[in-house]
Amino acid sequence: MNTTFSFNRLGLLLKRFFVENSQKELTFWAISLVIFMLIHNPAGVGMFIIISGFVFASRKFNSFGYTPGGMHYLLIPATHLEKLVTGIILSTFYFLVCIMACYFVGGTIGTHLGNLIFSTDNAVHFQLFETADALNNISPTYDSSYIDMFISFAIVQSIFLLGSVYFKKNIISKTMLSIIAFGIIIGLIELLLLKLNFDTTSLKNQNINIQLLDTTSMFPGADILGDIIKYATAPFFWVVSYFRLTEKEV
Amino acid sequence: MITIKDLELSYSKQSKLLSNLSLQLEAGRIHGLLGKNGEGKSTLLKLISGLVFPKHGSVEVMGFTPELRKPEMLQEIFFLPEELPHITLSIENYEKVYAPFYPNFSSEKFSEYLKEFDVDNKKAMLNKLSHGQKKKVMIAFGLATNTKLLLMDEPTNGLDIPSKGQFRRMVAAGVDENRCLIISTHQVHDLDSLIDNIIVMEKHKIVFNQPIENITEKLYFRVADRNDKNEDVIYSEDTLRGLYQVCKNTANEDSKLDIELLFNAITTNTKEITKLF
Repeated sequence: MNTTFSFNRLGLLLKRFFVENSQKELTFWAISLVIFMLIHNPAGVGMFIIISGFVFASRKFNSFGYTPGGMHYLLIPATHLEKLVTGIILSTFYFLVCIMACYFVGGTIGTHLGNLIFSTDNAVHFQLFETADALNNISPTYDSSYIDMFISFAIVQSIFLLGSVYFKKNIISKTMLSIIAFGIIIGLIELLLLKLNFDTTSLKNQNINIQLLDTTSMFPGADILGDIIKYATAPFFWVVSYFRLTEKEV
Repeated sequence: MITIKDLELSYSKQSKLLSNLSLQLEAGRIHGLLGKNGEGKSTLLKLISGLVFPKHGSVEVMGFTPELRKPEMLQEIFFLPEELPHITLSIENYEKVYAPFYPNFSSEKFSEYLKEFDVDNKKAMLNKLSHGQKKKVMIAFGLATNTKLLLMDEPTNGLDIPSKGQFRRMVAAGVDENRCLIISTHQVHDLDSLIDNIIVMEKHKIVFNQPIENITEKLYFRVADRNDKNEDVIYSEDTLRGLYQVCKNTANEDSKLDIELLFNAITTNTKEITKLF
């Protein structure tokens, strides 16, 4: 028997999710489809994908909020790694594939229905991707914006996945508060650095001109470090979730 | 099968859940874990299944360390908790989803046990069933998993009177020499003529752990007349039917074990009872 990872057990865990949540899933995707039929604004679409995404991720381990549910889940004969990978697959890949499918299908049906009802002749547009293409053209840093978008999405999902393992109740609000608290700490560090270097807490109206023309020569390896942070953030939260899951007691 | 050594568990220094607990349990037996509410029976079951971790001491189950929750161990353990989880599946789908995790699961046995419990409709949704009905399904599933270790926390809570009898019959039939069953309860009457070994918890410790044959060898249970004076009486309860007594079995007489009386005797006169074993 494979004691670390078995695809058979992973399959069983995925099957468990789909059989147990079939009705909820169908309802959610049907609602998403209708929303995408009605909303075409890329900001609205993006917002819906992000919010529904983290709500979905934060529900992956919500059985810990209820002791019998947590006991039942932890006693399923599968490794912690298999349970976590199931959570990652569902919250990151499965969710993204389904939401994109809903976006394409909903957008297409919505446009055609609109043409029929209002006797218009609008072409089908997927403005979310058009926005990404526009960003590509504006800035060279967005040369891989689809990948960047996916990475940003995966990071948000991994944070909320960790939140669902870490917190028992009010997962979304507690995770958001943690993100805000982290942001405040970073802000305070930034203020401290400003105070130490420029003896001020604000750069506004200070006539300080900072120009970093060539960051790579000033800070060798800065780009590599940036890439490492970018690509390692989601896996970092997955690893933390794994260890949190192994030490979970109910 | 289960070896626990010098186990300590507490949430704080003031509130000890389990204290200096050592225990060895063998397969092929039904162990009755008795104790008042809050003595740590459920916590002990959780420790055995790896749901909580010991602060000091060690727990070994079938050669595994439970806190690692390895699938090889989990597929040989079925834990029926007192409060059941909320599951939105039909009985049929529950079996389809969870049975493959247990390699020795018997679908025929599951149907047989359900039939015995008068649960006929496998299409019924678990979340729509009454607590008692749901418990019957879970007991049937647990027995059908054929796991080496079966842990049941207050399994008869919520069962009606005929179902308690069916439960006793099914459990007695479902246990063999390879299987170990631990039933935790405070409803001691429900375990009458079912258990082979009695474990009593008092003040977060195991104060008594003896097989039935040892108990009836050392103790004598009787209903005596109020005027009857016997120096061997360890514990006595005055009831309308007379004095229910636990006595030293000095004459080596046979008597029927009264679990409730024994439990009361142990909790009120622990030293006197344990001295005899």
